Amino acid sequence: MSTFIKDFIEREKINRRNFLFASAYGLGGAAALGALGPSMARAALTDPTIAWSYRNRTNPYWNEIVSGGEAFVESLGMSRDALTHLINEGSSEKSLADVKAILAKTDGNLALAIDTNDAPNARPVVEAVAASGAYVSTLWNKTDDLHPWDFGDNYVSHMSWSDEGPAEQTARILLEAMGGKGGVVHLGGIASNNPAIERLQGLKNALKDYPDVELLAAEPADWDTQKANQVMSAFLTRYGDEITGVHCANDTIAYGVLEALRAEGIEDMPIVSYDGNPQAVQLVADKKILATVFTNPHWGGGITASLAYHAAIGHFKPSEEPKEHREFYGPTILVQPDDALEFKANYLDSVPTYDWTDFWGPSNGPIVYK
Amino acid sequence: MAITETSGKTRVSAALGREALVKWAPLLVLLVLCAFFALMEPRFLSTRNFARILIAASPALMVAIGVTFIILMGSIDLSMEGTVSVCAVTFAFCFLWLGGTLASWAWLAIPLAMLVGAALGFINGLVHVKLKIPSFMASLAMGFVGTGLAMVMTGGDRIRIEDELYRGLLTERALGFPLMVYVAGLFLLVAWFIQTRTTLGRNFYAVGGGEDLATASGLNVNRVRIMGFTLAGVFFSVGALLAVGRIGIAETATGNNFMFLSITAVVVGGTALWGGIGGVWNTLVGVLIVFVIGNGMVVIGLPGYVQDAVLGILVILAVILSTDRRSISFVK
Repeated sequence: MSTFIKDFIEREKINRRNFLFASAYGLGGAAALGALGPSMARAALTDPTIAWSYRNRTNPYWNEIVSGGEAFVESLGMSRDALTHLINEGSSEKSLADVKAILAKTDGNLALAIDTNDAPNARPVVEAVAASGAYVSTLWNKTDDLHPWDFGDNYVSHMSWSDEGPAEQTARILLEAMGGKGGVVHLGGIASNNPAIERLQGLKNALKDYPDVELLAAEPADWDTQKANQVMSAFLTRYGDEITGVHCANDTIAYGVLEALRAEGIEDMPIVSYDGNPQAVQLVADKKILATVFTNPHWGGGITASLAYHAAIGHFKPSEEPKEHREFYGPTILVQPDDALEFKANYLDSVPTYDWTDFWGPSNGPIVYK
Repeated sequence: MAITETSGKTRVSAALGREALVKWAPLLVLLVLCAFFALMEPRFLSTRNFARILIAASPALMVAIGVTFIILMGSIDLSMEGTVSVCAVTFAFCFLWLGGTLASWAWLAIPLAMLVGAALGFINGLVHVKLKIPSFMASLAMGFVGTGLAMVMTGGDRIRIEDELYRGLLTERALGFPLMVYVAGLFLLVAWFIQTRTTLGRNFYAVGGGEDLATASGLNVNRVRIMGFTLAGVFFSVGALLAVGRIGIAETATGNNFMFLSITAVVVGGTALWGGIGGVWNTLVGVLIVFVIGNGMVVIGLPGYVQDAVLGILVILAVILSTDRRSISFVK
């Protein structure tokens, strides 16, 4: 064997040994940190960085959420720029990477509000936050087996919305307006979206009490005005006068439906929708739409940041709160013609000033798993 | 000698048969589809339903005609979604600012929106030709710029156009069809005129049929390309105007779906993706196929996702039909 090869093998052996030593040292270090970790995490933070991690601001819904976060930061006497924005652009990988980066940057001195983009991503995010002693509140996405109370104080809360109940309420208003008879069509969201499924289910629940109303068809319109317009036109061909009411999965779909009806000269069709967009609320006031549901994203965005922040500074201790204060549904407000203008003035034309320490006042009960 | 002649003839007649098939297949498909849906649900054949199909198809037809010119040159334009959004939003802002009704100076918003469309197309063409970026990438990027621009202009809001006169495009009918259908028909004739009766139209075919030859014959191919993209931009803006007329709303999402719809329609109509073959009548047939499927599926009660699958299969069939595989050695 040449000396060169011998030297090479020798060197590699030493390298491997060093590597093993290094690994063992690293593991020991991690274990030692782990032993110290929980005690560190229990200490409240002082002046933590407040961050919101979300999809992007070009979406009106998320814009509302984040404006709530900014309003909360301003209520603390800071400028709105003090809120750190982590924008994932719809990527779970980026969402997790952003969280890890800001944990490293702030050394765990962090109060994080986050929608993790998809449900499976919630666990690694929460684990990373808890491991570094920071505090997190989640919105919308998490798996059913992930619970705040399994992480002591660090996973503060989770808020989501169930659309089934409110969609059933609007459906009942619609079915009453139809006189409890005739035919109803449903134009839904993207077929696989959870809210789309829940809103259709709400209609089906209500229909059980109205045996004389037939659900003629339920077709996805992908939350899209133009698609809804086309689908509604085709419904008119297929069912014509049999249609006496329309149940829309959201406001943008309702706009398309209204225009499809206008093209045919139909002005008085009962329609209900969902989301409480300003224009839809105006249409409710004008009695073009019978009802829509407002979910107050501004409050949702503010209170999620507030929960994480106040838990972080030790204002309250999450682990001493009941479970319904850790997993709860967000608010839903039914908007009908009688109160539409008042609602618009109070919630949309001027954003109300919220008490960001009234954490659970407007919320809607504990999350129920099926 | 005799044998050669016979086989030559067979080849010629086979080629003719194939040519005829390729030429008439899209129309045949359209008729078969109509017959099928009518058989399943007689109400499909009513005038009111055809009016509904044409209302839905009019904006998409304009956009598809725009991109037809580009595809005839063997390029592709994917900027339609952004351009349509920007034109729709510009139109809506100017229309409301200038008075909010067609009876005032607000009508100026219409030519202005078309100018904006032309400008966006012109920039698109410049980026493609001068910076030598493939049209696919240049136009896709311009489309994103357009969507972003529309977003910045509206801040995510919807702008409603309530003017009864302008909405007359949808609500006023002649012979059972709304005015917007006739407007779309008029622009179809304009497009047909450009395609057959102008030098520019013939040059599109020259560039698409053989760019090297066209260049060697002294044609300024770059100029033709830039003019093509500008023309496409104008047709996109007409599509935007009709889309606003149909829904009464201008927003960033006005341009949504036009890319898929128009490219599918052009291809299904029999215009070849590598240029030189096809034209605006093919596109008309293609757009009608796409919207007859969209309408007919709901009318006979098939779920929406089947629609997409059927359209996907039709696209592949259309490309198979219009491709002479013997003349192509490899596909990228």
